[in-house]
Amino acid sequence: MQTLLELAQGPLFRLTFAIMALGLLRIFILDIWGAIEAYRKAGDKNIPWKQAIKKTLGWLFPVRKAFGSRPVYSLLSILFHTGLILVPIFLFAHVELWKSGTGLGWITLPKSWADYLTLSTIIFGLALFFGRIAVRAASFLSRKQDYLWPLILIVPFITGYICAHAGVTPAGYRFYMLIHILSAELIFVLLPFTKIAHCVLMPLSQLVATLAWRFPPDTDEPVAISLNKKGVPV
Amino acid sequence: MKRVQTTKLILWLVVGFAAAVGITRFLYGLGVTTNLNDATPWGLWIGFDVMAGVALAAGGFVITAIVYIMKREEFRPIVKPAVLTAFLGYIAVIISLLFDLGLPWNIWHMLVFWNPHSPLFEVGWCVMLYTTVLLLEFSPVPLEASSRYAKIRTFLLRFRFPLVMLGIMLSTLHQSSLGSLFLIMPYKSYPLWYSDILPILFFISAVALGLMMITLESLATSHLYRRHAETELLSKLAGASVWVLSVYLLVKLSDIVIAGESNLIFNGSWESTLFIVEILMGVLGPIVIFSIPQFRQSQKWLWAGSIMVVFGMVFNRINVGGLTMMGITGDSYFPSWMEISISAGVLSAAVLLFLFAVEKFHVWETSPRHPEAEPTSRPHFDRASQVWLGAPSVAGRTKYSLAFLFSFAVAVAIIPGNDINSKGAVSVPTMAARGGDTLYIDGNRDLYGVAFKHEMHISQNGQKQSCALCHHMNIPMDKQSGCYRCHKLMYQESDAFGHQWHSSPQGGNIACVQCHEEGQERMAVSAKKCDRCHRDLLPEGARIKYERNIAPSYVDAMHRLCVDCHKEKALTLEGKEDLARCARCHETVPPEYMSPEAPVFGNKPYFNRVMMPGAESLLKADD
Repeated sequence: MQTLLELAQGPLFRLTFAIMALGLLRIFILDIWGAIEAYRKAGDKNIPWKQAIKKTLGWLFPVRKAFGSRPVYSLLSILFHTGLILVPIFLFAHVELWKSGTGLGWITLPKSWADYLTLSTIIFGLALFFGRIAVRAASFLSRKQDYLWPLILIVPFITGYICAHAGVTPAGYRFYMLIHILSAELIFVLLPFTKIAHCVLMPLSQLVATLAWRFPPDTDEPVAISLNKKGVPV
Repeated sequence: MKRVQTTKLILWLVVGFAAAVGITRFLYGLGVTTNLNDATPWGLWIGFDVMAGVALAAGGFVITAIVYIMKREEFRPIVKPAVLTAFLGYIAVIISLLFDLGLPWNIWHMLVFWNPHSPLFEVGWCVMLYTTVLLLEFSPVPLEASSRYAKIRTFLLRFRFPLVMLGIMLSTLHQSSLGSLFLIMPYKSYPLWYSDILPILFFISAVALGLMMITLESLATSHLYRRHAETELLSKLAGASVWVLSVYLLVKLSDIVIAGESNLIFNGSWESTLFIVEILMGVLGPIVIFSIPQFRQSQKWLWAGSIMVVFGMVFNRINVGGLTMMGITGDSYFPSWMEISISAGVLSAAVLLFLFAVEKFHVWETSPRHPEAEPTSRPHFDRASQVWLGAPSVAGRTKYSLAFLFSFAVAVAIIPGNDINSKGAVSVPTMAARGGDTLYIDGNRDLYGVAFKHEMHISQNGQKQSCALCHHMNIPMDKQSGCYRCHKLMYQESDAFGHQWHSSPQGGNIACVQCHEEGQERMAVSAKKCDRCHRDLLPEGARIKYERNIAPSYVDAMHRLCVDCHKEKALTLEGKEDLARCARCHETVPPEYMSPEAPVFGNKPYFNRVMMPGAESLLKADD
């Protein structure tokens, strides 16, 4: 158990964290690269930049935008994301680990806040999972990974909460800690290669859509022909 | 085209791994990433990357000389790739040099702080100028792609001939002066490799190597891109190399004979074996192979001969660069896996750039064309994901970036995390020193130290009141605690705070809550600061600043205290500009003056040890 824990905390952590950091950077760069290529190929170079930026900001800070058609889902999702982002980054114990490892530290969450946010993330994660099963429209659109993600994401939160309120034997603590680390590392590895990549691609989504949905010069004719719509006004 | 893609994928894997190691080198320094030390300060990075790298890039000046000076027009098709190889080779040399320099950010110093007596200065300037010349020589090729730069291109083409001349001149200068570097160590190099005419030997062998590098590169790329190799031209180059190699062999052997060292060749030492291997592989073997006309026409034999010369000459540069010095310094060195991976990474990156340029620009007569990029080609579905990854360039981008990512992550995982610390820090405990007129501060306790005029400092800084300037009385009730009480180790910082002692009866039986607030985690960071209780931790006017509970190493503490003060005083006192210089307190003596009885830590000769002023006579009296 101890060896496993050391392996998970040391080499395995560095491996998975590097895959996450570089993987996210990679898709970010590839996306921008793709967007630039799309712009270069675009026949119509009049891109509504302002509108794209406004839309992006609207989705980044969903103050009014989110509560349109599915207010309950939106609220649950926002609350879930709050804990999901804040707790791992600003938890006191995590920052201490960074500080001892790299010498870099930053502000931390008060213990009570961290506890509430952890619990809320667990609860809202479960709510989102069951919501996806229960609501017809949502389950119709869902892939397997959409069900799995809320479940995978709350595992480190549950085990982390147990470890932080150490009401367990030392052997039990080590077990939960191992699960905590391993599940987090699984998330790290999956992050850049699944839909969770939206954590870095989000600011680009509107821009890419605006740029990409333009035909390259002189391709409108062949496209219209292959769609059997030659001469039909679009 | 699978061949090119597989090669690139492997190269990207190597580059990714090296990138992580390279970051480690810049974060944690040479001591952690290399097996170098004071006795062997130059290793793989200088021996292979720089010494051999410069020689391998010799193809550039050799082929331009053949085409532009000797007017052998038939060799024109291989000028561009040769110049490109040379340019990338020099870039690789400069990058490797950055890894090897202890203070890489000072690389520009050579531009401003001239040291015209140093061969290294000449090499540095030549390499800088020659790299610029190569850039100007090659840049018309990529500029061809866009009509926007047509004017610059024609301008550069007009100056092609002067540039070629300059390039040949600069190469001649520094290919030979790389050899001059080793003229300063006549007693450190093994006699078979040390010679007064090392510069000439280096130059001749660089010409031979240049010819063979062009051959090898042409053979390798024609294999990769399945294009027709210029066998006719290559066989002519091979024929020329026979002459150059023969001249080299003749000069080298007669130099050894004239110096009266010919008996060393067959004396059975490991150096003699190295020498025989070097000559057989790099010189004699290729001469024999290429003397036979049928072999010169055969691709297989061209491969064999050129590889032999390249390996032989690289081996020669490594030998001169340090391998053969080990017998004399008595130090054993083998490059660490980190050094090897960085060398491999720089080389791979250069090859990737070469392939990029070859595919993108008009380097060869006909640029290689990717069959999958044909407009009529059908989409090629990726086996793993069952999707079409797009045109070859896009598909490659996806795969190569993944390869880079994974090998980078693997390197991050296997580079020891917690074990990364300086190998230089040995735990050497310090000793007590008290009062007196002159203190002898012994750095390593090997008789080399500094005479510190204690009395003089007291009188110059204002008598008794001045004690507090340097001595901080941080132990309660103790008004003159010696430095060694907290600065326990010579090179390592130590914990100045006795946690156990504070909670013990002798230490005042302090309860946890006195320092750690209730309800908070009990950690050093969340505890009260020491000066909250020990209000007189530092006396009035002290030079020391209290930051953490950690006492810096003895050497650091002494140096900071002395050097900072000396720096300040040097500015205000007239005629004391040298006050802050190391040699002001440390006098250098060569190890010959060391007493045989003197305890020495380690068994290697160090040349820049410092000695207590006046200790020389003491030691001599002992003899």
